[in-house]
Amino acid sequence: MTQARAITLNALSLYAVALVLMAAFAAQFILNELPCPLCLLQRILFAALAIGPILNIRFGPRPSHYAMSLLAAVAGAVASTRQVLLHILPGDAGYGSALLGYHYYTWALIGFIAAIILIATVMLFDRQFEDDGAVLPPTGGPLAQIAVWLVIALTAANVVTTLLECGFGACADNPVVYEMLK
Amino acid sequence: MEFTILFLATAIVMLVAWRGSRLLALGLFGAVLIACVATYLHHATDTLKLSF
Repeated sequence: MTQARAITLNALSLYAVALVLMAAFAAQFILNELPCPLCLLQRILFAALAIGPILNIRFGPRPSHYAMSLLAAVAGAVASTRQVLLHILPGDAGYGSALLGYHYYTWALIGFIAAIILIATVMLFDRQFEDDGAVLPPTGGPLAQIAVWLVIALTAANVVTTLLECGFGACADNPVVYEMLK
Repeated sequence: MEFTILFLATAIVMLVAWRGSRLLALGLFGAVLIACVATYLHHATDTLKLSF
């Protein structure tokens, strides 16, 4: 895999992270389901997944950048596994509504595991880490630039919505109202 | 409040990764990840009702 192809893949991975963050917002605003503390932590770790690809696009692919995303994905998998286990007993309705039979934290666990497998697979291609002399577009080209700013904007939007939800105190375990809008 | 700060910190790390120094982004990422783990440990207090 050439450096250019790796950068395109990294840009596509940023769109995948943006899609996850937008799906979370859709559940929050369309279904009016406020995220719980563990749900917010999983969102943060999905956003943290994007930092590795941003560095790969700006500085070129490096194993350390992929390692950052791997660490974020493992932390996210741990958090989502805990939430799955909290609601695993028969008769437990789970937190929030289900999408295609699975709750959002179950989808999050699937997403984090998929990220771990995909990142490990992409890291198998050593040629991306060698300077192949190709002239790369500055900061990855328009596709990558839009992806980076989209992810940054969605993370910034989460700053605002989380502040509205939790206010300046601790977030409620089962939030039903926006603390700042009461 | 801690989640708002974590989102803000993550957004700042993204901006540093995109516009600033690589080493600073790496360091800040490490700090955010440690803060995430600490927040997780702070909230993960309920006993899991599991039997094996």
